[in-house]
Amino acid sequence: MLRLAPALLLLGLAVAVPIAGASAQERARQRSPAAATARLSFIGLADKAQVPAKLTVRFAISGMEVVPAGQAARNAGHHHLLIDTELPPLDQPIPSDFNHIHFGGGQTEAEIALTPGKHTLQLLFADHNHVPHDPPVMSERITVEVPATSAEKPRSAAGPGARVFFVDLRDGATIPSHAKIRFGVEGITVTPAGTTSPNGGHHHLLVDTELPALDREIPSDFNHLHFGRGQTEVELSLPPGEHTLQLLMGDHEHVPHDPPVVSQRIRVRVVGDGQPAAAAAAAPHAPGTGPARTPSPNDAAVYFVYPRDGDRIYPTSTIRFGLRNMGVAPAGVAKPNTGHHHLLVDAGPPSFDAPIPADLNHIHLGGGQTEYRLTLPNGRHTLQLLLADENHMPHDPPVISERITVTVVPGGPRARRRR
Amino acid sequence: MTSQVRIAAVGLFALAAWQGAVPEAVAQTPTRQPAPPGAQVYFHYPIDGLSVPERFTVRIGLRGMGVAPAGINHARTGHHHLLIDTEPGPPDQPIPSDYNNIHLGNGQTEVVVTLPKGRHTLQLLVGDYTHTPHNPPVMSPKITVNVR
Repeated sequence: MLRLAPALLLLGLAVAVPIAGASAQERARQRSPAAATARLSFIGLADKAQVPAKLTVRFAISGMEVVPAGQAARNAGHHHLLIDTELPPLDQPIPSDFNHIHFGGGQTEAEIALTPGKHTLQLLFADHNHVPHDPPVMSERITVEVPATSAEKPRSAAGPGARVFFVDLRDGATIPSHAKIRFGVEGITVTPAGTTSPNGGHHHLLVDTELPALDREIPSDFNHLHFGRGQTEVELSLPPGEHTLQLLMGDHEHVPHDPPVVSQRIRVRVVGDGQPAAAAAAAPHAPGTGPARTPSPNDAAVYFVYPRDGDRIYPTSTIRFGLRNMGVAPAGVAKPNTGHHHLLVDAGPPSFDAPIPADLNHIHLGGGQTEYRLTLPNGRHTLQLLLADENHMPHDPPVISERITVTVVPGGPRARRRR
Repeated sequence: MTSQVRIAAVGLFALAAWQGAVPEAVAQTPTRQPAPPGAQVYFHYPIDGLSVPERFTVRIGLRGMGVAPAGINHARTGHHHLLIDTEPGPPDQPIPSDYNNIHLGNGQTEVVVTLPKGRHTLQLLVGDYTHTPHNPPVMSPKITVNVR
C-alpha cells in the first residue's frame, strides 16, 4: 500500500514556474479583461463530495478559451487549482506552490492526491502572466472529503465449510528456525490476488499477531505475509523461541471473506539449527504428491491477448496467449524459466500439486503454441490460462491468468450492437 | 542502415543461450527445417504505422506452429527474432546476433525494447533450434513505428 503522507502530492502535473522574481509580487500588474459570460466550474465534482485519496479533477470553462501560459490572447487564459487556500491577491500573479497548481500547458484536468480529511478546491483562471482577469473568473470553492484510512470494502462470500489449515504442523510443534510451512484448503480454491472468482482467495500467514480487522484489507508487513500469487507454502525463517502462526484467506482485494476463512492459531517452538527438531516439521512431502514443482520467476505472468474478460466471441475463435518474463517451451523440454500453456475451459483451477489433467476442459498446448482455435457452443464460458513445466506440473508459485468470462454468440462480437 | 539501437532488458539468459549455440550452428551447414504449412508470425503490438513511446513491449503472435527455446530440436517449433532497422540476411544462414537482431532464445513471446525517437522498422523472423530460418522463412511483414 502506498501511503501518501505529505500534505499534497501532485502527480503528472506540468507545474509552470512563472513567478518573475519578488518584484512581481509587489507591484500590481495590469489585469486582462474577462468576458462577462465566462463561467468556470469542476466537472462531476460536487460540493461536500466524498472522494478517493487519488482523483482526477476536470475543469470546465465556458465563454473563454484555454491557451498555454505565456501566450497573450484576447479572452483567453489558463487554469489554476487552489487547494486548501484562500483566493490570492487578484492584482498579482498567482503564486506557484503545493496549494496553487498551475496548468500552464493548457491542461483541463489533473490527477491529484489528497490526504484523508476535508479539503477545499477552487479553480481560478488567469491570463498569460498568471494574473487573474478583471473581473476574476473563478469557480465555487468546494469542500471534498477523503474518508479516513482505506475504508471498509465489500467482503466476498465464502462457501459453506470452507476451511484453511496447516499441513503436517500441529499446535505445540517444534520446528527448525528455517522451516517450510505448507497451507491446506478445503471448500475454497486458491486463486491469485487480483483474480475475482467465486469462492476463491489467497493465503495470508499471520506471525505473532492477532487477527486483523476483518472488514478491510489485511495489512502487509512482517507479521502479515501475503501469498498473492497463489502460493501454498513458504520457507519461513523465525528466531528461536515461541511463536504463533495463523492462516487467513483474503479475497482478490486482500479482504477476508464473510465468514472469514481462518485457521486455528497455533503455537510453535522454534529451535536453533544446533538442536534437533522433535517433529520433523513439514519437511517431507505429503504422501501422494507428484513430482516436485519447478520454480517460476516472481514477476512472471500469463494473460489473454484475445479475448478479454466480458467479450462476445464467435463460436470458433482464436484464443491468443501472452506471457511476461518467461519463455515458451514444448512439453518435455526442461529449461529454467520456461513452460507451456494450458487453456482451461469452463473449469476451475486444478490442484497445483499434480499434473494438469488432459481432457476437453484442460487443453494442453504441448507443442509450444501461443494461440489456439477454439470452438465452443453458444452461451457463457470461462477461460483461464495456466502455465506448466515439462511434466505438466504448475510452477511454484503458479503462473496463472485471471479467469475470464466470454459469451459465444453466433454473430460474433458485432451482434452486440444489434439489440 | 544499421543505425545504433539501444535495447533494454533483452533477457540476458536468451543471449547467453544463443552465444552457446553459435559455434555448432556455423560449423554444420544447416539443413533448413521445413516450415509448417500456414505458419505465420505477426505483431500483436505494435502494428504498422503506430506511434509508440521510447520504451515499449513488442508482443508476438504465432499461428500454425509452436515456440521452443533455441537449441531445442522439436518439430513444428522455432523461436522468435526481432529485426530492428535491418533487412533479413540470407535465409540459409543463422540469424546474426547483434543490436539489430534480437534473439528471444528462451522461448519468449514478448520483449521490451527502448528505441531513440524517430521512425524505426520492425520485423519478426522465426528461427529453428540453430537460429536458421525455416523453409520458406516464417517472417512477418516489415512494419514502421514512430517513436515519440
